[in-house]
Amino acid sequence: MIVALVLLLIGAPQGAPQGVPLHGDALARRTQEIASGLRCPVCQGLSIADSPSEMAVNMKTEVHSMLERGYTREQIETYFVHSYGEFVLLQPRSPVIWILPIAALVFGIAIVAIMLRRLAAAPRTKKIDPDVARVRNLVKGTTS
Amino acid sequence: MIATAALGRLLILGALLVSTAGALLGFASGAKRSDEGLRWSKRLAYAFGALMLLATLVMEHALLTHDFSVSYVAHVGSRSVPVWVTIVSLWSSLEGSILFWGLVLGIYIAAATRFSSRGNEESMPYAIGTWLACGAFFSFLIAGPANPFLTISPAPLDGPGPNPLLQNHVLMVAHPPLLYLGYVGMTIPFGFAVAALLRGKIGPTLIRAMRNSLLLSWIFLSIAIMLGGWWAYEVLGWGGYWAWDPVENASLLPWLTATAALHSAMVMQRRGVLKGWTLTLVQASFLLTVLGTFMTRSGVFNSVHSFTQSAIGPTILVFLAAVLIGSVTLLALRIDTLENDGRIDAPVSREGTFLINNLLLVLFTFTVLVGTVFPLVVEAVNGKQMSVGRPYFDSMVVPLGVALLFLLGIGPALPWGRAAREDIRRALLPPIVGGAALTVLGVVFGARNPWTIVTLFAGGYALQVTIVQLAKLRHSRRSVGAYVIHLGVAIAVVAIAISSTMRVQREVVLQQGQSATIGAYTVTFTGTEERSEPHRTSSIARIGVTKNGRAVTTLEPRMNHYEMMREPIGTPDVHSTIGGDLYISIASLEPNRAGLLLIVTPLVSWIWLAVLMMAAGGVIALVRLPRMTPLPALRREGSGEGLAV
Amino acid sequence: MNRFVLSTGAVITAALVTVLMAGLGRDPKHIDSPLVHQAAPAFALKTVGTGETVDIASFRGKPVVLNFWATWCGPCWEEHPVLNETARAHPEVQFLGVVFQDDEAKIQDFLRKRGSAYPTVIDDRGKTAIAYGVGGVPETFIIDAHGTIVAKHDGPITQEQLQSYLAEVLR
Repeated sequence: MIVALVLLLIGAPQGAPQGVPLHGDALARRTQEIASGLRCPVCQGLSIADSPSEMAVNMKTEVHSMLERGYTREQIETYFVHSYGEFVLLQPRSPVIWILPIAALVFGIAIVAIMLRRLAAAPRTKKIDPDVARVRNLVKGTTS
Repeated sequence: MIATAALGRLLILGALLVSTAGALLGFASGAKRSDEGLRWSKRLAYAFGALMLLATLVMEHALLTHDFSVSYVAHVGSRSVPVWVTIVSLWSSLEGSILFWGLVLGIYIAAATRFSSRGNEESMPYAIGTWLACGAFFSFLIAGPANPFLTISPAPLDGPGPNPLLQNHVLMVAHPPLLYLGYVGMTIPFGFAVAALLRGKIGPTLIRAMRNSLLLSWIFLSIAIMLGGWWAYEVLGWGGYWAWDPVENASLLPWLTATAALHSAMVMQRRGVLKGWTLTLVQASFLLTVLGTFMTRSGVFNSVHSFTQSAIGPTILVFLAAVLIGSVTLLALRIDTLENDGRIDAPVSREGTFLINNLLLVLFTFTVLVGTVFPLVVEAVNGKQMSVGRPYFDSMVVPLGVALLFLLGIGPALPWGRAAREDIRRALLPPIVGGAALTVLGVVFGARNPWTIVTLFAGGYALQVTIVQLAKLRHSRRSVGAYVIHLGVAIAVVAIAISSTMRVQREVVLQQGQSATIGAYTVTFTGTEERSEPHRTSSIARIGVTKNGRAVTTLEPRMNHYEMMREPIGTPDVHSTIGGDLYISIASLEPNRAGLLLIVTPLVSWIWLAVLMMAAGGVIALVRLPRMTPLPALRREGSGEGLAV
Repeated sequence: MNRFVLSTGAVITAALVTVLMAGLGRDPKHIDSPLVHQAAPAFALKTVGTGETVDIASFRGKPVVLNFWATWCGPCWEEHPVLNETARAHPEVQFLGVVFQDDEAKIQDFLRKRGSAYPTVIDDRGKTAIAYGVGGVPETFIIDAHGTIVAKHDGPITQEQLQSYLAEVLR
């Protein structure tokens, strides 16, 4: 029995904890935080923090116990990625997904600046629709 | 009866024929400027609507008489569900919902043909041609890959009933029809945009028709998106209302571009600029609805809503590609013929803020689209599977939302056209009071999150500007509508910020008779009850709720066991007040023990109400006064001020 | 012809349509396991009924078929006879069943009624399932004699599929 327990413990593939063990409120809060970033593999897009399924609850318990033992967020996420793949992270590690919107923002600001300059340089007199001109003349005639 | 299915198929084939003919005739009549051609195009448009209506009635009849020889009825019908569920199952499943799309499209085309023709005679043929071309595609889809009228012989005696999730809540009845009214409605302004591009010009009556149809669809879409979120909140059990699921995003994307288009159209009307851009946005809104329907139905995306893959996905993709290529080509060819007949004098002006509004909304659209499509791109490129979920979207969208909220205040405060620095200062400084006031109020009630505090300031600023503008306006009903919408948006954004960041959550396990507290509430688990209905049995946890010693209500979250589903589906119960909600869902339930999730979410009902306010504002803007508003005095030429509508 | 509009539009169209086309034909719910070609995670769990501990490390030197299942899972009922038969036919391969999220009495009842040709252990908190990246049941892992996972099979396994996996590890 003790042998089994020991085997269970040293079987951990994540190596030694690199952080500080947590307790109480800090533990609960950090569990919630990290769990919100992990995807429930049996649900549609929910995090294990939000999902009521048993699988998610088990995973959340695992996060809790790893935090108690002092594992860092990096280590916990790496552990789950090792078993489930990058799919389990709700936020990709790749920077591309951040670069694209920022690039779009810069591009957009440039376009708006160009547009404002071009539209400000347009000639002052408007081209008047001939029908509108007729109406104007008629109205001027009646109101004068 | 075999005849029912055959009748349905016949009607759909008729619709296909009529719409194809009408599309061809419409474009030909527009090119040749034929009055006779226009008349016939209109008749074909009405015929299309009528045929779609008849086909839908045939299907409803088959559902209500439990005619299981019709394939769709065999898929979703059941003798043991309540009547309202049977009626609603028309749109509950894939093929039926495409038929429903066809119905809504038919009605819209008929209505648009009837009510937009006056003053637009030269554009109508092209518009009708475009609408009926879309109609032809959907008829083809219903007649072919998504045929609900296939015959099943021998006919089964009973069916499985629609998806149980749809029977869990009455909101499910309203969400799809409203969504379709919003989605499908985007086809109408698209038709007008195509007409404008083909003719190379866009006059006031066409602008009005385009704006009105865009606004009408926008109203329905706003309510539909809100109902989707409300339904998710009331039914799914995790206590939130938006998870950035691909299909949720699909409904949001056209709403964003339509909002941008509504603003850009105002600049187009007042200043005579941004015509090509506005038409681009209108086309984008329609294209995004096609993309949205592809995302929902193709089975390509990992989503709550997904269906299994079938021939429908590729068919819609072909249509999407065709419309994309057509729109881009048309724009590239014609955008330069739409000449600017005005200018924008100064960047720091109301027109300038409209441009920034458009920039932010398009950026918002782009970000959500990238996030949704990214997993697909990565998988296509290197085979790895990644997720993009709430953490990403929330972090991107919050700054955008706050920026838009600031703009909501600054924009209406600024005057049109170039203004003196002194006037700008006089316009922009006073609302700071409102911003500070709301911030202080929020902090007093416990707001600490930095983004929430910034949102409160922006919201208070925007609210003061909007209320002041509303007080000033007495004559222009369109502007009143717009400011009521703005009021709703400001309230909604602030409510979203507060309900997300000031939420309190607890997980408890209670024995029978035991209590727990959350916020100001005390909840007591009094027992479990079993209730049987023909289509499901429910285990109900009875929970007494008290606040400050006084009994408030009894909440009854449930676990529903449906015959056809292996795992039970939980339904939470919610006690909503104006200050916030108490939300309870079941994690586990035994006769004497309940594992519960307790959530107190402040101000969440304000979100639903605020969106209804937005819709009401839209209706106000849409409805015209019986007598014409007096035009502001026709100014001298060159003042830059156009005719206000 | 406005070249800016044409080129921007062409790029967006091409990108979008290509990506969506690539998505068709892929099942978004199927996730590839990163554990293939990795060492099988270690565990030691208690057998149903007897309570004896079974450690997967003790099977080093023999190929292992590791099957995650539960009594409430329909497809698991279908594949059980396949696993039983194959286990009896191939005594040189170690079969092991792992049950999680289930009730011990129900498991014992199931095994008594349908027979078991190989040991079944209980993963009480689903910890081993998590280590193996199990997302649903049934899931079957084929592990070679050196303790490396060579394949992961989602869903119920048929006789042919099992035979072809075994052919790989028995080479």
